[in-house]
Amino acid sequence: MIVCLIQVVVAVAQNKQLLYGFREIPQSLMLNPGEKVTTKFYFGVPLLSQFHFNGGSSGVTVYDIFGNSQVDINTRIENKLATLKNTDFFTATQQLEIFNFGWRSENELYFSGGMYQEFDFISYFPKDLAVLTWYGNQDYLNRNFDLGEVSTRADLLSVFHFGINKQVSKKLIVGLRAKIYSSMASINSTKNSGSFVSTLGDGSNNIYEHRLSNVNMSVQTSGLASLYDLKSPSDIVKKVSRRAFLTGNLGIGMDVGFTYDINNRWTTTASMLDLGAIFHTKNVETYQATGDFTLNGIELLFPPIENGGIPYYSDLEDEIEREITIDTITRPYSNWRPLKVNGAISYSFGKTVSGVDDCDCRSRGSKIDRNQSVGFQIFNVFRPKSPQLAGTLFYYRRFGKFLSAKATYTVDSYSFSNLGLALAADLGPVNFYLAGDNILRYDNLAKAKSVSLQLGLNIKIYEK
Amino acid sequence: MKKNLTYILLIPIILLFYACVTDTDFNQAEDIALKPVIELDLIYFTVQANRFYDAVTQNQILTVTDTTEIRFLDDTGIQEALKRADFYFKFTNSIPRNFIAEFDFVNDLNEITYQTQTNVEQGTLDTPVVTEFTEIVQGDAILQLTQANKVIVKVTIPSSDETIEGSLNLQSKATYYVEY
Repeated sequence: MIVCLIQVVVAVAQNKQLLYGFREIPQSLMLNPGEKVTTKFYFGVPLLSQFHFNGGSSGVTVYDIFGNSQVDINTRIENKLATLKNTDFFTATQQLEIFNFGWRSENELYFSGGMYQEFDFISYFPKDLAVLTWYGNQDYLNRNFDLGEVSTRADLLSVFHFGINKQVSKKLIVGLRAKIYSSMASINSTKNSGSFVSTLGDGSNNIYEHRLSNVNMSVQTSGLASLYDLKSPSDIVKKVSRRAFLTGNLGIGMDVGFTYDINNRWTTTASMLDLGAIFHTKNVETYQATGDFTLNGIELLFPPIENGGIPYYSDLEDEIEREITIDTITRPYSNWRPLKVNGAISYSFGKTVSGVDDCDCRSRGSKIDRNQSVGFQIFNVFRPKSPQLAGTLFYYRRFGKFLSAKATYTVDSYSFSNLGLALAADLGPVNFYLAGDNILRYDNLAKAKSVSLQLGLNIKIYEK
Repeated sequence: MKKNLTYILLIPIILLFYACVTDTDFNQAEDIALKPVIELDLIYFTVQANRFYDAVTQNQILTVTDTTEIRFLDDTGIQEALKRADFYFKFTNSIPRNFIAEFDFVNDLNEITYQTQTNVEQGTLDTPVVTEFTEIVQGDAILQLTQANKVIVKVTIPSSDETIEGSLNLQSKATYYVEY
């Protein structure tokens, strides 16, 4: 059972469609700084207030490759290789809240702050290189293999944040959050170009020409160079984790959002998260390969014996190094954070939560909260090659004072059949929540292209 | 109410523990075999006929030879992964002589670990003759081939004189069958 639980956690992406707008969960404020906050004060139980893991692959599942089948695994890999595209991707995002708190001030501003750690990874499928590696070039003479398909990025960072949320009118709540990023380690290889092709030669040299053209490949790294000499994994962990506390490469960013009650039934919300960049200035190494080269094999010149031999192979290596230069650059660079955009429109119905029909006095006479709502959400994260869009239909229901739930149906790059469920329970001041999507796949996660999981524990105090 | 709440809360927790990866066999990973077939140019040359006659000493030079390293061949990774190598040689001869072309694969100690040779048909300036030769190396022979990191090429002419004309051209490639 423990193994299965771990697998859930490991199998879990960037979209938190279940938490977005789910105001019983304080972490919904992290997804929309302009969220309607009903508590006077809250704090997350340190290290337990939110664990989030979201992982997925757009084109292939574990089951596609490792499922029990009469078909040979290599044939299955080849079948998948044929259908996967260079826009398919693999992602993993993990977040752990270290601490999180919020309170309403006397002048009705809602302040919140905290710190969380995040790991974010995306790699697009470099189809051409995969085909070349799997099959070799024999059946692919004259095919230009695109080296520019290589696009991958991984960031390990901590985020310190502080936000303000204010109801500016009966209908409108706005919020703004400032963020300081402290990068612990980062790898970025997203601006690559070049091609490789093997063609029949024109007869002047050798049988083939193997051409590398317009190669411009680079891997930016920060926070890694100083780790190369460390011997034990514990030394690496120690050194990297120290950077979490603002000693890494720093960056700044912001989140903005709003909630607008169109009328007593309809509400619209939107937010933009991680509008910012990290400035990699310390411990930076960029490896860059540029140039063109054509290989024809080795031309023998049969020099007279008295002249000695010619070091053809070394000469060839030198020529390759001369033509395709590989540089290590220590120039600082900056990276935009992956910008996330959320938007929603919802219609509420059912019983009023406060028990009165005319006014919700807790929220200064704004729209009455009801115990049910339905709506539509969109999510978009800007990734290196293209935005990843997701659309979600949701149903929200509150059961009495203690329990609320949200069910979602999401269509995204991964699938058209993603059902999710979130539950939040308020046991006195203790708030516990659990949210997971792709629940139809829980009987066999191997068949899921993505799973997302969030859970956490908070303490909430409402206004008397 | 509290009892109901407990049940409702239990559902997702049970779901979480129920979630499993089933109907899969990760041991199949051991059966994954990358078998790329790689076409790669080997050596090429053009030797002029006068290279087989020393005009100064007026002596025939019956064998010309040259050596190149092919360092990747005895790399441990290649030794383990290379299952078969097909060498293809294409000679174009406009010299009116037959040749013997030898290829000796040697290791660091200059010991021959694998060798092959072929006869090259004579041609004329007006009508060069093409001789093709393929050497397939597999099985135990691959082990010997991959001990080598150099190839010595010897081209032997039966006779020559100062009037001999033409050239001998070689183009070659190898097809490497690799399995990881």
